[in-house]
Amino acid sequence: MKTGEVHQIDTDVAVIGGGTAGLNSAMAAAERGLKVLVVEKAMIDRSGAIAGGIDHFHAYLEEGAPWDTRESWLRYVASVSRGGTNMKVHEAVYCDERMAAIERIERIGISMRDPGTGKFYRTQALGQPGPMAINFNGKRLKPTMAREVRRLGCQVLDRVQVTHLCVHEGEFAGFTGFNVRTGELYQVRAKAAVIATGNTNRMFKAQTGNPFNIWYCPAATGDLHRAAFDAGVELANMEYVRLTIVPKGFSAPGFNAFFGMGAYLVNSLGERFAERYHPMGDRGPRSAIIWGALQEVRAGRGPLYMDCRHLTRSDRERLFTTLGYDKDTLPDFLIKKGYNLEGTMIEMTVSEPMQARPSEQCGSGAKIEERCASNLPGLFAAGDASDQMGCLHICVAGGYAAGKAAAGYAEKTKRLHPVDAKERAAEKERVLKPLNRKHGLSYREFEDTVRIITTDHFGPMKTETSLKGALEKLNRLDGAISDLKADNLHELMRVHEAVNIQHVAKITATAALARKETRFPPYHYRTDYPERDDKNFCGLIVVKKSSDGAISTRFEPLTYDI
Amino acid sequence: MPPVIDQEKCTACGVCGEICPLDVIHMEGKEMEVRYPDECWHCGACRQDCPVGAITIEFPWIMLGV
Repeated sequence: MKTGEVHQIDTDVAVIGGGTAGLNSAMAAAERGLKVLVVEKAMIDRSGAIAGGIDHFHAYLEEGAPWDTRESWLRYVASVSRGGTNMKVHEAVYCDERMAAIERIERIGISMRDPGTGKFYRTQALGQPGPMAINFNGKRLKPTMAREVRRLGCQVLDRVQVTHLCVHEGEFAGFTGFNVRTGELYQVRAKAAVIATGNTNRMFKAQTGNPFNIWYCPAATGDLHRAAFDAGVELANMEYVRLTIVPKGFSAPGFNAFFGMGAYLVNSLGERFAERYHPMGDRGPRSAIIWGALQEVRAGRGPLYMDCRHLTRSDRERLFTTLGYDKDTLPDFLIKKGYNLEGTMIEMTVSEPMQARPSEQCGSGAKIEERCASNLPGLFAAGDASDQMGCLHICVAGGYAAGKAAAGYAEKTKRLHPVDAKERAAEKERVLKPLNRKHGLSYREFEDTVRIITTDHFGPMKTETSLKGALEKLNRLDGAISDLKADNLHELMRVHEAVNIQHVAKITATAALARKETRFPPYHYRTDYPERDDKNFCGLIVVKKSSDGAISTRFEPLTYDI
Repeated sequence: MPPVIDQEKCTACGVCGEICPLDVIHMEGKEMEVRYPDECWHCGACRQDCPVGAITIEFPWIMLGV
């Protein structure tokens, strides 16, 4: 039995989280000749949000149309993400890296061009001013990126959950984790690291009651949001609660595919309603469509349906295929539910809430500047675990940018920091403790309790009273942590995930209290402050652990020249 | 239940258990077991990567019936 066996690893650049952003960070650092270690809770070939596939990559391509320019893109980003996106960071991590990102995907072996025409096939949705979503078959994008990371000689630790970041004299020093199948412990020192562990899911109640039947990856549970916060890293955009619209019964993605191909939402009276809530209607921003859907259901005009009947047969076939790129099993589900291609009105429902970015053009997590650095020297962040990146296009482009930055930092660092042996021993004890309890609380009951609190109090609408009530209950739940037990290593992983979710829920509620306005409703809707207040809140709510352990918040304005 | 492994076709190569993003599939002795079916995300990676096509995906009543 290997549980508790300790391995120590020193490396130049560590990437925590082997999803899209993390793998691109690893590629960048490895290409620069640094020693790279990727640590992933599952296996890099199929881990994270695009495990089974992905169908679209947002980009302006400057191919001649007036909407296809950098300026048009930036105007669109500022309109759907005002107050969430830091435009300077966005230009550095996405705009400047975008074409190299597309070339990299194609070079490693995934074609993004339509096999029939050899050109990009682009569709329009999500408030974009033109067809900016490149549709492609991304079923094998994840394993292809993983193969490239190995080909570049990166060391990969699969099935390792990182639970603690080590800091030495105010600088990043390393981290620890455990193998969720063998129980071996890993103590890593690195000159620089990129956090790329995604957003926080399983935090709210889900449509069929199963917390794993959700839109985003149920394995992304805020592990490094929590660990980074504990280590003094500043986070931003944590107040936002994201929702989408999904097929009834299966919280599968497909929003971009449905609306991009021209499908539209109707209510139970057969009315197209999206235009009531935004002039762009079904091609409008996601938040506006979801807000509209919530209002329609509240008014008694649900259920809601995705109407595909007016699509040509070939467009319907293309839609069906594209849905399968984004979620491999969705076409099977639709068939088994009795939908056929003709006469198709697919019943939809507003999805579960999740703690994630308020748009496709920013993130929610470790606050980064243009070079992807957090406030902790040596620690960088990429992808949905950062406050400025998220969604495939920025994860590929920005992940690479973060890897370059981390490599540059590591190159200039002469020595690794020491790590306190007592700190490591205490963490080993904390991590393994639930295995030693014969009786206690299951992770599932603990998580169910969190989900009832969050959904009742801020899922997604909230007031000062509801948020304070949530915090009171979540803080009281701290008392249950020492009862959590795990009968095996899989459950031990779930126990730590549950505790991370609860910690991040507190951060989300605290940040939401600080934002006394409404922005991108329903992603941040304050019933007590129902209007947007750009004068006081056009910018980030930044959270940080204060010296007494409390969650402190401050406001940092963002400016938009466009 | 979500991924159903046809044990006649399965060669216990272990790939499905290695790659599952939710740690649902494990090798139990000489067989692959869907040990945590309720934690399946229905991503389809196991079905895609099985070299002998031994995996089919089922949906429970609570997903199909609502």
